Amino acid sequence: MYTCQDSINLLLDFLDGEMPAEVSAELREHLAGCPPCVEFVESYRATPGICREALKAKMPPEVARRLTQFLRSRLPPQGVP
Amino acid sequence: MTAPGPEGDKALLASAQAGNMGAFEELVERHRDRVYGLALRMTRSEADAAEISQETFLSAFQHLQSFRGEAAFGSWVHRIAANHALMRLRHRRVVQMAEEELKAPDFSERGTLLETPAPEWSKPAEERALDAELGEAIRRATDALPDAYREVFLLKDAEGLSYEQIAEATGDSVPAIKSRLHRARLALREAIDRFYKEP
Repeated sequence: MYTCQDSINLLLDFLDGEMPAEVSAELREHLAGCPPCVEFVESYRATPGICREALKAKMPPEVARRLTQFLRSRLPPQGVP
Repeated sequence: MTAPGPEGDKALLASAQAGNMGAFEELVERHRDRVYGLALRMTRSEADAAEISQETFLSAFQHLQSFRGEAAFGSWVHRIAANHALMRLRHRRVVQMAEEELKAPDFSERGTLLETPAPEWSKPAEERALDAELGEAIRRATDALPDAYREVFLLKDAEGLSYEQIAEATGDSVPAIKSRLHRARLALREAIDRFYKEP
């Protein structure tokens, strides 16, 4: 019988769907009797999406201006050689 | 006006490959925020991120003719950015936080989870508003990850690269990448959970 720790250690492969059927069945059995782990799985599953949203960045206008200048100074005006 | 998204990118790409610099500049404009964001989070340096953005688009231009469009232009250019950021990190040796300091859930001696996640997690995603303070907490937690963990997390969970693509870019094995990704997710989950539980 898996513990919470065993189950959490297996979460990556579990959510990737890359797990032997018997391991997956044992993990599901643990989750069926462990509400805190079910909540943990949900929070683990939600983490990448929340982070992705938080980590979105906008290039500052000054950096964008310098990027354009840099490219115009390095690239041929007529485009691809 | 070119359509947004990958279809519009395709038209712009064809035009840029035919020599239209305006089309290339529009591609740059479409993708510069994500390129800059990835570089900034990977290197934690605005100056490096600005330079990586320049190197990335210069490199993309130089290889424009050999790009056949099997992948979306965005994916291609983000991989170039990831490679430039990785190269820069390889040359920059910084004192790393010990891996043992990565936050992870606490268990009892019998392996039982000691703390239940905050109730906020059970809300649907659209109701979990990402306020500015949570965003800042996540950025701090991401920046605090050791480089090798942050790289993998950003490449997989923010950029959507496959394990194989990350292995190719970093030279690490897929099992090592998966292990780091799991530890990074756990650490970031802890950071968000702590934020929700703060009074």
